[in-house]
Amino acid sequence: MPRTLVVIGHGMVGHRLAERLLALDTEAAWRVVILAEEPDPAYDRVGLSSYLDGKSKPDLILAGPDFLNDPRVDLRLSCPAVAADRTTRTVGTADGDLIPYDALVLATGSRPFVPPVPGHDRAGCFVYRTFDDLDAIRAAARPGRPGVVIGGGLLGLEAANALRLLGMRAHVVETAPHLMPAQLDPGAARVLHHHVTDLGLRLHLGTATASVDGYPDGSVSGVTLGDGTVVEADVVVFAAGIRPRDELATVLALERGERGGFAVSDRCRTADPHVWAVGECASVEGRCHGLVAPGYRMAESVARQLLGQKVEPFDGTDPTTTLKLMGVNVATFGATRHGEDGAVEAVFSEGTARYAKVLLGPDTGEILGGILAGHTGSPMALAPFLGTRPPADLERLLLPGRPA
Amino acid sequence: MNDVVIIGNGPAAHRLAERLRHHGHEAGLTLLGEEPEPAYHRTLLPHYAAGSLARPSLHLPPVPGARVHLGTVVTAIDRERQRVYAYRHGIETVHRYDTLVLATGARPDVPDVPGLREPGGGPAPGVTTLRTTADCDRMNGGSVVVLGGEPLGVEAASALAARGNGVTLVCPGAHPLHDRVDDVCGGMLTARLEAAGVTVLGAATAVRRTPGHLELSDGTTLSADTVVLCAGVTPDTRLARAAGLDVGAGIVVDDRLRTSDPSIHALGDCAQFDGQTLIGISGAHEQADTLARILTGRPAVHRRVPRILRVRSRAADLSCIGSPADFDRPGTRQITLTDRTRLRYARVAVRDEHVTAAVLFGVPQAIATIGMLHRSDRRLPGDLLGLLLDLPPRPASDSAGASADPVVCLCNHVTRQRLHRAWQDGARTVPALASGTRATTGCGGCGQAVEELCGQWARGTRDLVEETCPALSS
Repeated sequence: MPRTLVVIGHGMVGHRLAERLLALDTEAAWRVVILAEEPDPAYDRVGLSSYLDGKSKPDLILAGPDFLNDPRVDLRLSCPAVAADRTTRTVGTADGDLIPYDALVLATGSRPFVPPVPGHDRAGCFVYRTFDDLDAIRAAARPGRPGVVIGGGLLGLEAANALRLLGMRAHVVETAPHLMPAQLDPGAARVLHHHVTDLGLRLHLGTATASVDGYPDGSVSGVTLGDGTVVEADVVVFAAGIRPRDELATVLALERGERGGFAVSDRCRTADPHVWAVGECASVEGRCHGLVAPGYRMAESVARQLLGQKVEPFDGTDPTTTLKLMGVNVATFGATRHGEDGAVEAVFSEGTARYAKVLLGPDTGEILGGILAGHTGSPMALAPFLGTRPPADLERLLLPGRPA
Repeated sequence: MNDVVIIGNGPAAHRLAERLRHHGHEAGLTLLGEEPEPAYHRTLLPHYAAGSLARPSLHLPPVPGARVHLGTVVTAIDRERQRVYAYRHGIETVHRYDTLVLATGARPDVPDVPGLREPGGGPAPGVTTLRTTADCDRMNGGSVVVLGGEPLGVEAASALAARGNGVTLVCPGAHPLHDRVDDVCGGMLTARLEAAGVTVLGAATAVRRTPGHLELSDGTTLSADTVVLCAGVTPDTRLARAAGLDVGAGIVVDDRLRTSDPSIHALGDCAQFDGQTLIGISGAHEQADTLARILTGRPAVHRRVPRILRVRSRAADLSCIGSPADFDRPGTRQITLTDRTRLRYARVAVRDEHVTAAVLFGVPQAIATIGMLHRSDRRLPGDLLGLLLDLPPRPASDSAGASADPVVCLCNHVTRQRLHRAWQDGARTVPALASGTRATTGCGGCGQAVEELCGQWARGTRDLVEETCPALSS
């Protein structure tokens, strides 16, 4: 008799966990019940804007027929978990089902954070996370008209690209002095700014949104910025960050991390040995991780632990990331911030076309990490040199060939 | 005969006289120097002022066969009769010329601040400029305030602090050399000066001086037994203007260093070529070499040289090539190095493998090498980073001790070797590699890298096919 794993949430990470467990579980020790809130199986949320660029839902859905037809899988769509009890080891669904579990994995993800500015709930205000969100934005979009995205991070740029793909004139409002403040330094952001401005994006940097304004019927007319600027808009998309979906912590009487999320150890375990958390909803030793790569590492780790395998503790250091934003490559590898360790900073740049910053150890000059933007060399070409002295042709690796 | 008279006996005039003799000028050669002092290294004055160099060691070697009239104040030029009128010890002297060279230099500015100036316009007692040995002799002991954030001010402050004076450097910009270096480099320069005992006050100007004290724009009052004015210089064009020559900010010269009168040339700090004045000592030396060739009938033209600014002091070793605007020219590549721990900074603009502009601080080896490559118009080394950081020679990327099997897809931890095995097993496209290895199915960021590898391996086979069986390749 196989044991039952209940996974709450069928996002990218929840799906990966189920998929890996089934692949590794050659003895068929587990069956998996997945409770999905959305009506569609897990899809590629990272590539969501391509949904507005010619791709259909099936193109983006990650769960293939092999997975969906696997007899060990019980995927329940539009069936969120609403209750849970650790003493009886059961989860209650919105359908009124009570499912017993041997192991429970919380993979509830995040919800968009909507800053409480006046007018944030007007008709014409949207968030950007699901197929439904994009369908709603598509229905409201009017080509040639302006739209405003609040938030200039990764998500905000995806949302701005979505508006652009819908033919709208996109504005981006970011409180930091440059786009993607979490990943980029001002020099790399300069490359990005130049490129997205060329594509027609209008940037409002270093200013907050004071209010979302409306017509007498209540629908959105535009936003007023902290500096008094009024930007006209038919559509406003909030992409000002995410917050972990940790409502079940109360129901389950589990600890939350200091900044929200289910508190878990470096092996993704909660205080209850039968309950785990992975992905954006997990606060791994106090820190939530918003990118898919660390989420996948957590999924792999838990899948192996469920099969009794030994695993390394989760490595919480910033992973190498490569992103393509509206045609601009930006990437980080290794450490990207210098500070108390006093790293030497070497920047190779060509106008606003490309920018590469490498941090070197203060004493031995070994490569600690870096930030790349524009037509640079691949971070994969540089990753092997982490921890070593820069090769003599470092500049050629960073800025290969001639500028575009 | 071509008798040459040079008005001025500073470093530019001296270099011209020396070069004229070198190139075989046999006719008369007369230098009229206003100072009673023989020609000396003006760039070393801060060290003389600080007492670390004795006066004789400043002197330049006498030029054989040159008649040097010291303490001679020129009063007028008669271009029609080609004569120069001067006074020496109260006696008028007249000097006939075939060729006249104006090397009148520049005069230090004395800011119009109450208490700094004498009624006649010169510095008040306890106040001095820093242009002549006589200026240095006006220095008192005790507390010194240096006004001005330019190289001379930095060098003077550093030298005087080394002598043990309490020295404050007051500069109008946020940090010294504000027009030439950015805030990061300026901050390092300030830190070095402070460590050498100089108090640096940025964004400040003097508003009033009373004996022993200097009041600043921000309301503070400094103790100041001596105020040293390093607040800039103005090209000395008075004689040229009176003689009716074309004068802009400096005396206007063409590419043969000729003024509007073909018998009169000008060079050094008093001259203006292509809109540019005050070219610094290395520029003045180049002009002197060029003019000596021209006057001895050799083919030579003067070209505009990028301005090179050099600060040499115990506290700070700084070199600036070109102007800040040169960094932003299209087609320019830039390398910027910031070492906040060891206070090293370098910013180099490169075009066609040649340096077009640079700011170098605290990197003496790179200052020497890049300066040399720039002067001789030679290519920069490929490993510029190694030069800037003074790194030992290192292998290139293809032979370095890097990991032999780098991770290509980080999300799914797919290594290059694993991809290559899948490729050899028949996965010859990105989608095939993706389904075989899961690479690119995470964040998708490695898509480009996988595509490149795929193409690389495909080309490899094709090359192999072409080599072994040319008939098969199309």
